[in-house]
Amino acid sequence: MAASLSSMTTLSAPRPVRLLNISNPYSSPSHVRLLPCTTSRYTRLVVRSTPSEIANKVSESIKNAEETCADDPKAGECVAAWDEVEELSAAASHARDKNKGKDPLEEYCKDNPETDECRTYED
Amino acid sequence: MAICTVHTTPSLSMPNTHLNQRQVIFFTSARKNQFFRGQNRAFTVSCSADAKTVVIGLAADSGCGKSTFMRRLTSVFGGAAEPPKGGNPDSNTLISDTTTVICLDDYHSLDRTGRKEKGVTALDPKANDFDLMYEQVKALKEGKAVDKPIYNHVTGLLDPPEVIQPPKILVIEGLHPMFDERVRDLLDFSIYLDISNEVKFAWKIQRDMAERGHSLESIKASIEARKPDFDSFIDPQKKYADAVIEVLPTQLIPGDNEGKVLRVRLIQKEGLKHFSPVYLFDEGSTISWIPCGRKLTCSYPGIKFTYGPETYFSNEVSVLEMDGQFDRLDELIYVESHLSNLSSKFYGEVTQQMLKHSDFPGSNNGTGLFQTIIGLKIRDLYEQIVAERAAATAQAAKV
Repeated sequence: MAASLSSMTTLSAPRPVRLLNISNPYSSPSHVRLLPCTTSRYTRLVVRSTPSEIANKVSESIKNAEETCADDPKAGECVAAWDEVEELSAAASHARDKNKGKDPLEEYCKDNPETDECRTYED
Repeated sequence: MAICTVHTTPSLSMPNTHLNQRQVIFFTSARKNQFFRGQNRAFTVSCSADAKTVVIGLAADSGCGKSTFMRRLTSVFGGAAEPPKGGNPDSNTLISDTTTVICLDDYHSLDRTGRKEKGVTALDPKANDFDLMYEQVKALKEGKAVDKPIYNHVTGLLDPPEVIQPPKILVIEGLHPMFDERVRDLLDFSIYLDISNEVKFAWKIQRDMAERGHSLESIKASIEARKPDFDSFIDPQKKYADAVIEVLPTQLIPGDNEGKVLRVRLIQKEGLKHFSPVYLFDEGSTISWIPCGRKLTCSYPGIKFTYGPETYFSNEVSVLEMDGQFDRLDELIYVESHLSNLSSKFYGEVTQQMLKHSDFPGSNNGTGLFQTIIGLKIRDLYEQIVAERAAATAQAAKV
C-alpha cells in the first residue's frame, strides 16, 4: 500500500501527517514526531515493531475484508471480515506493548547465559 | 461450611501478606520429591468458611482501555498481574496475588472461521457461550476451580482449557459481562467504559496507523462495519453498570478535533450497598470548579471540574466530570485534596498511584484519574464485603 508507515521507527512519515498530531492515550513516542510530551518519562527511542507474524495477518485480513466488502458492504461476511481486522489489530497492539519493555540483550541472555556477552562477575 | 482448596505456592520467599485467611503451608524438601529437582515445592491449603470471591465486571469495546484499566486496578491491590506461568503463552488471563482477570473472549462459542462462515461478529451474542460463562463464574464465586477454555487471539482458535483457581477478587472483562442476566446478578460491581465515537476514532488511528496495510479508510471502514452490532449488543449494557466512565472530546478548546484533551465523566450509581460515590465539596449539590487561579497555576487549556446529581437511564446517579489535563504533580495533589469520599488509605494515595503508572495512557487526564479512583473504590468494596462476611460467620458461630 503506497505511503503506509512501516512498522519500524521512522521519523519521516509521509502521508497522514495531520493525524499523527493527534496525541492521545495510545500515542507511542516513536510515531509522534512533534513531542507534545504526552508520556512524561521517555528517555530513549524505542523501536515499536509488531511481530511479523501478526503484522502479516493484519495486512492479509485487511485485504480480505476489502475484497469481501467490494460486493456488498452490508452483508454479514463483510462485517465479520472487518471485525476480524479489528481483532487482529488489537492483538498486534498488545504484542507491541508486550515487546515494548523487552531488552533484546536480556532476552538473549535468558536463553544463553553461558555466552561471553552474558557472563556476570561477582566479587 | 468450610471449603478447603489446595494449590501450589509459587515461592515462599515473598510471603503473601495480603492473605488474611488461615493457611497451612506444607513444605516438601527436594530430596524426597525428585520430580521437582532442586526446587522446593510448597503447597498451600487454605480453608475459610464460605470463602466466596468478589466478582467485578468490566465492559468496553475493543481498543478502549480495558487493559490499561486492568493494570491500574491490579496495581491498587498490589502485585503485578501476569499470565499464568507455565501455561499457554497466548492465554488472556492475568493472575496476581489477590486478583485474577478473565477475558470473556475465552467464552466464544465460535472461533474466527466459524464466525466468518456464519457472518457474525464477536460482538454478537450468538458467538458467545453464556451458559458456560455463567456456570464458571458461579463456580469461581463459590470457591471452586474451573477449566476455562482459551481463545487464542493470534490464531483465532479455541485452545485447550486452563485451570483457574478461585481468587479473592475475580475481574471479568470483555464485551458482554452484563449482557446475560444471570451473569449480571453474580457481579458485585460493574463498570462500563463508554468512549464517544470521535475519541474512539482518534484512539484507533493512533493504535493502528503504524500497522502495515492499515490506512485511514480501512480504520474508518472497520469502525463503521462494527457499529451496528456494537450499538445493538454492547452499548445497552451501560444502563446496568454501577459506574460508567464516559470519555468525550473537550469543551475547553472550541473547535478542537484532535482528541488530545479529553472530557471524562464518572457516572456513579446512587444507593448501592458498598459503594459511596466520590463527590466534590458537598454531596448532592451541583458544583462547578476551576482549580486554576491564585493558588494554582495551570497551563492552557487548564482544568475544569463539575459535580452534580443527574438521572441516567432512569437511575439516580452522581456525576463527577473532569475536562482538561494535568501538567504537573501539584495540580494532581491539589485536585485530590479537594475531592471527598475517595476511599484512599492515606493522603496522596491517588496521586501516588497515578505517578506510579505515569507511562500508561491517560495518566494526565480524567481517564487515568477516574480509573484509579474506581480502583480504590473497588478495594473499599472488597474490604466491606469481607468484613461483612466475617461478621456474619462470627454471628453464626455464636449462635
